[in-house]
Parts: sequence; structure tokens; C-alpha cells
Amino acid sequence: MSAASISTGAHAEAHTHHDLVDEKIVRWYFITALIFLGTSMVAGILMAMQLIRHNPLNGIEIFSAGRWRMIHTNAVAYGFLANGFLGCLHWSIPRLTLQPVFNKHLSWLIYGAWQFVVGATAVGILFGEAQALEWGETPVWIDPVAQLGLLLVAINFMTPIARMKGPMYVTLWYFMAAFVWTFLTYAMGNFMPQYYVGGTSAGAVGGLFIHDLVGLFVTPLGWGLMYYFVPIILKKPIWSHGLSLVGFWGLAFFYPLQGIHHFLYTPIPMFLQYGAVVSTIAVELVVTTVVINFFGTLWGNAGVVKTNIPIRFFYTGMIYYFLTCLQCSFQVTLTFQKIIHFSDWVVGHAHMVMFGVFSMWIMGMMIHLFPRMLNRPWASQNLLEWHYWLSTIGVGFMAGDLILLGVFQGWSWAALEPWDASVDFSYPFWVLRVIAGLAMFGGLLAFAQNIRLTMQAAAKEKAVRA
Amino acid sequence: MSHPKMSNSAEAVAVSSGPSRGGRSAAWTVTIVLGILILIPSMLGFVMKFRELMAITEGGTEGGFAITPVINYLLASSGFFLLLVWAALNGMFRDLERPKYLMLENEQELDRND
Repeated sequence: MSAASISTGAHAEAHTHHDLVDEKIVRWYFITALIFLGTSMVAGILMAMQLIRHNPLNGIEIFSAGRWRMIHTNAVAYGFLANGFLGCLHWSIPRLTLQPVFNKHLSWLIYGAWQFVVGATAVGILFGEAQALEWGETPVWIDPVAQLGLLLVAINFMTPIARMKGPMYVTLWYFMAAFVWTFLTYAMGNFMPQYYVGGTSAGAVGGLFIHDLVGLFVTPLGWGLMYYFVPIILKKPIWSHGLSLVGFWGLAFFYPLQGIHHFLYTPIPMFLQYGAVVSTIAVELVVTTVVINFFGTLWGNAGVVKTNIPIRFFYTGMIYYFLTCLQCSFQVTLTFQKIIHFSDWVVGHAHMVMFGVFSMWIMGMMIHLFPRMLNRPWASQNLLEWHYWLSTIGVGFMAGDLILLGVFQGWSWAALEPWDASVDFSYPFWVLRVIAGLAMFGGLLAFAQNIRLTMQAAAKEKAVRA
Repeated sequence: MSHPKMSNSAEAVAVSSGPSRGGRSAAWTVTIVLGILILIPSMLGFVMKFRELMAITEGGTEGGFAITPVINYLLASSGFFLLLVWAALNGMFRDLERPKYLMLENEQELDRND
């Protein structure tokens, strides 16, 4: 044991949870995240209703389906995932480093500024101010504020990590990288194509942006949090810390070149396209090491998946993650792209990763943390079960439905059948998508009701004690 | 491995005794041979592709756009390469499994202090 690590271990005795963690801000982030998830899901359902020609807001320009689609994707990325992650970071980083965040007032400033960014983005999109960048439609006048916000987030969380002594746990490697990557990715995507590069080059940068937002913002935070929450809930260490570092460094070196796989068969030079294909397949090998590590950790305790709902959410997300990445390593090949490009396959894939993986993980973490923060168990175990099953089955059906539809659409287009024919046979699949989306939304409502009941019970208990 | 502290001491013993001298030199030999077998073809491939890239970028202003994503990647990766070197030089990988036990110990300690 090194001297540095001894000193790190000794520090825990001098700290209490309440010195380190501001639970109030964690709660606020979680509630806000869930409000944005609800908004995003309503927008998604409206868009799905449009496709089956039952849009209830038909004819109202600011609620047109194209705008709602952007609200749907932006609200889930910047409203739900970012707020959910920030809440979890406010819990995990101080506990891991045994240092509070740089400044608690700064945390609240960031909270307020971030809600302004997301709210202003929604208003900007609805009133036609969207920036021409997929998943980065934040109006150009919001970009500098968002960039500053990301810098402040990095300062607030990197300070406790920098103050820590000794070898770092893998979670902190992921977090540290995420703060740097997210800042750089946002700058690259939102400023370079807007002001510095154009044409095909801007397309290539846009492709890097879309995918790096998943791989360099959402993925490192998600996996970093899994490496923290899974061992503490199972009360056993991760199977191999060495293997976890292989996963981290693999992500660091293979992921950044992937984004160009969104633009295969374009005028972007073929060596860049091949580079993207090869690095995407390489990431699948890295992902396999990560998944093996987590299932190795669960080995001997598999029964916990039945009894512990957060663990069930986490491992369901991991299975979806493995499937998504496996699918990705095939779909990025030129052979697959010929069929599935522009089809609903891509939409199914995106839902599987964004909802099936990262949303499931964030909801699992919320399910673990809310009772700890409220000091009482969940009001209804049944509602938790409904939440899990509606979410899991809903996203499974939606992804399966759209992936299958994508293959049919691709073959139809490849056979040069009329476009209308593909719209006609897509109809039943799109109806099934609405049903799956409603199931997922039902899961969220069950969760919201459970939070309400638990908070009410906690408030009543507090009043009785007072 | 169910109790972190017990596992720590067991691991400490394992680390202090370590593999035998013969085992270490065999491990080094395998690492070097594999390193050469993997690195030489990789470097040759890289040099060839790099020459192709240079040829494209020298092909006028239109060709220059190809370099933007490559520069993005090289900037990001070189930063992480430097971080990897820094981490290795600062002993971050010397006792690879230690942080996972420390993390759990600290968690338990924090819960007890609460």
C-alpha cells in the first residue's frame, strides 16, 4: 500500500456525508430532470402521432412536428440526462474524493444557468431559431452561455478531484475525461461549423459532434456512475479494477474518431470513413471488457437482480448497452449502411441507447438515492415494479419495432419501390411505436406518483416529529 | 473478496511476494515480442496512411478540409496520451486493484459517521 493511498483511506474518518454532499441540490436536479423527461416524452409522442396522421396540434405552426422533434431530442440530452447526471455527480464526487465541490453557491448558479440554457433552447427552437446542427440545435446566442456553464461545471467538480491524493478510482478517470471532452465537444460542434468550416468539412465535424456527445459526454458519465453505484449497492468491489481502466483508456483512444460513421458514402475521404468504421468496431471490443467486468462483479449474487430494483435497472441498461454496441459494430459497415441509412433502424438504435441504457441508469440511481435523501423507503413497491416493467418492455418493443421496420424500408428503397409504398407499410409499425411510447410514458408517471407519495409521507413524518 | 479489508491484506501479501524472477523475465520477453509484432505493422500502416493524408491535403484548398477531423482527433488523443504518461509516471497504475477497495472502505466509513 502506498503512502498516498494510506492518507486517502484515513481521510474518511474525518468526514461526514452531510459535510460533503448537498442533498438539496441533488433533489432539485432529479426533479428538474424528470420534468424535462416528461416534456421530451410528450414531444416524442406528439411526433409519433403525427406519423400516424393523428397529430392533435395539427396546423399550429410553433407546435409543428419538426420543431417538436428537436424539443424531444434536446430535452432528453440537455434537460434530462445532463440534469440527472449533475444530480448524481453532486452525490458521488464528494463521497469519492472526500472533498466537497469547489463552491456550493457556484453549484446553485450552475443549476439556474443550466435551466435557463435548456429553457431558452426550447423557446428558441419553437420560434424557429434552431442552429443547423443535429442534436446541437441550441440557438447560436445560447451557445456561449452553455459553453461557460460547462466550464464552470468542470471547475466545480475537477477541484475536488485535483485535491485528492493517491491513485484514482476508475469512476474519477471517467468523470475527469467527461468534463474535458464535453467542453471540447460542445465547442467543436457548435462553433466550428457555424463560424470556421463549411461544406463537407462541416458535415464531418457535425458527425463527430453527434457521436461524441454520446460517447464523450453521456457514456463516460454513465459508466463512471455505474462503477460507483454497482459496487456500493452490491457491497463488493468491481471484479477487476485493471480491466475497468482498459475500458476507460480504450474509450479515450478509439471513440473520438467514430462520428464520421454517420456520413458513410459521402464525399468525406474514404480513409476517414474507414477509420470511423474500424474504430467503431474496436470500441465494441472495449465495451465487451466493460460488460464482462460488471457481470463478473455480479457473479455469485445474481439473485440481487430480482430483489434490488436499482441493480435491475442498471443491469438491464447494460444488456441494452451491449446490444446497442454490437448492433453498432455491424451497422457502421458499408454493407449495412446501404440498406439502413435514413431508415427507422437508426431511430430504433437511438432509443435503445438513450432510453434503454442511460435513462434506465439514471432512473436506477434516482430509485437508490431518493429513499436515502428522504430517509424513508419508497411508498409503493408495486409502482416501482410498474415503472421498471413498462420502461423495459416499452423500449424493447419500440427498438425492435423500428429496427425491423428500418430493414423493410431499406429494402423497399433499394428495390426502387415508390416512396409512398414504404410509408404505407410503415403505418402499423408506427402505431406500435405510439403504443410502446405510451407504455414508457406510463412508467414515468408511475415513478412520478411514487416520488409524490414518498415525499408526502416524508413531510408528514417530519411534521409529526416536529 | 466479500470483505474489503480482508481482501486488502490478502492482496498486499500477494503483491509483496510477487511473481518469481524467472516469471518476470518471461513476462517481459512475451511483452516485448508481442509489442514488436504488433507495433511494426501498425506503424508501417500508420506511415502509409499518413502519406496518403499528406497527399490529399497538398491537393489544393479543397483537399485541406480532410485534415479538420484528423486534427480534432490528434489533439484530443495527444492530450490523453500525455495524461496516460503522466498517470504512469505518478504511480497511478502501480497498485491497480487498490482503489476499488479504498472506495468501498470510504463509503462504509462515511455511512458509519452519518
